[in-house]
Amino acid sequence: MSTGAGIAPSPPRSRYGRFMTGVLRGTLKLDVWINKVYPADYNPLYYTGGLSNLFLFILVLSGIFLFFYYEASLVEGFASVQYITLGVPYGGLIRGVHRYAADGFIVAVLLHLFRNWFTDRYLFSRDNPWISGMFLLIFGGFVGFTGYQLVWDERAQVLTAMFVGMLRSLPLIGDWLARVFIGGAGVSDGTLVRALFLHIGPASALYVMLWWHYLRLRHPKIWPPATWVLASVGLVFLLAGVIPATSGQPAAPAGRPASFPMDIFFLIPFWLLNYMSPFAVMVLLGALFTLGFAIPYIARREAPQEMSVRHAGVAQVIDGNCTGCELCFFDCPYNAIAMVPSPAPGLSRAAANRTWLAVVIESRCVECGICIGACPFEALELPKFLERDVQAQVLEAVRA
Amino acid sequence: MSNGPKVVGFVCDWSVDLVPLMEGGRLREMPSVRIIRVPCSGFVRPSWLEDALGRGADGVFVTGCPYGDCLNREGNYLMRDRVDQLQRRLQRRRVDPARLGMLAYGLHDGPAFLAAVRAFVEGIRALPAAAPPRSAPAAPAPAAAERETP
Ligand code: SF4
Ligand code: SF4
Repeated sequence: MSTGAGIAPSPPRSRYGRFMTGVLRGTLKLDVWINKVYPADYNPLYYTGGLSNLFLFILVLSGIFLFFYYEASLVEGFASVQYITLGVPYGGLIRGVHRYAADGFIVAVLLHLFRNWFTDRYLFSRDNPWISGMFLLIFGGFVGFTGYQLVWDERAQVLTAMFVGMLRSLPLIGDWLARVFIGGAGVSDGTLVRALFLHIGPASALYVMLWWHYLRLRHPKIWPPATWVLASVGLVFLLAGVIPATSGQPAAPAGRPASFPMDIFFLIPFWLLNYMSPFAVMVLLGALFTLGFAIPYIARREAPQEMSVRHAGVAQVIDGNCTGCELCFFDCPYNAIAMVPSPAPGLSRAAANRTWLAVVIESRCVECGICIGACPFEALELPKFLERDVQAQVLEAVRA
Repeated sequence: MSNGPKVVGFVCDWSVDLVPLMEGGRLREMPSVRIIRVPCSGFVRPSWLEDALGRGADGVFVTGCPYGDCLNREGNYLMRDRVDQLQRRLQRRRVDPARLGMLAYGLHDGPAFLAAVRAFVEGIRALPAAAPPRSAPAAPAPAAAERETP
């Protein structure tokens, strides 16, 4: 009679499932360790999203500052960056802040991605934050790359040539894409204008995607705790002061340096070019992101039937009992409950005079059951784990 | 069957790994503790906790993930607030709030979780005997609005 009581969940069968279960355990074990150092409220791994947003905010502010001085042309590009670094008061510092905040951003974003992947936080309706997150990652990475281009030193020149090579390697649309990217048949002043746009345009688009990212979340944790805000800002400034961001040699029309410093966070695809053909790198990137997008749909750690009480069905409102008190509406962490004008009075005494009725937006519900705990009027149920089942288990417990 | 105080624990299925700790729906080390697995600690309706106490349980507790790490983002914080509220309400009704507990332990915190449950059970054992259980526990729970009136 008791649903799921005392039944050990069967271990996941597939090798992938076992692997992901191991990773889940590892991730949470890491938390246990970090919680020994920081109180749980300050565990930075609980705030990877907020940290990403913080770094993005620093990037926007410092980027606006840099934008005032930057000139997008082959001759002036490098010179204006040098002027920012050496001529403008605190310019070098701000440039460094922009540089290191970008690294912080990508680290925080990757931590956010892996943590939410490894802890199953993309299940059911949480695919929307996942998909928007993948877009954020792609756009963020691309913005980082065009940022390196803007400096227009030797490295920028080589990166541009490499990227054009990668684009050209694509069949059919390759040449066209390359022309669009550099603005003509060859690198010209227009190239840097485009780079500037491709830096700022997608960066602004990040905020549109963030809106999508937050759409299904109530009270998203947008900022980390104040101590971590201070620590991150301080760290970025400290790095910018101690290891200033620098340019390489100015780009020369015929120059082709043998090597240049690689940034491990943004430039990994270009590093791969040492070992693979441009087309292979493009295919690899395409495959990686396609897999990334598919994770919520193909990569379940457990089949739904193995999830027992954790897969209890989308919450259902019991119309006759709902009083329209809005408590579930406030507590659903996924914005999955909407209050609509009540079409007809409820059946129970408390619901007879209601003006509102709760409606579950099924496509958003993740089956957590938090609204059931919020509702004092027995007007919500999880279809596969009814109040009746819970009561039966309680009775069994107190009778014994 | 066992001589310990009757305790009902609602445990979130994402929090403590119960497989090694449980046997037949009860904690192996403390068979007087009956575990009810729930999809999230926030799923627990405070009236169920109240009911369990009213029907003769000596104590009830809810276990969620560590604060800040709820799989469902806020379930454990919401539940902590609800438990606080219910404790205040119980106190007004002269039920010792120590009979109601909120714990937060992660997948790997089995030993710490057991220790906390043991402390909880010992705390209850030390209390004076509770009021006798409400009669006719088989009747369906009365509507919450009626239960609110003391
Ligand atoms: S179960 Fe309830 S609280 Fe959870 S997502 Fe669905 S509607 Fe929201
Ligand atoms: S908490 Fe219950 S009674 Fe209140 S609006 Fe939601 S479903 Fe209706």
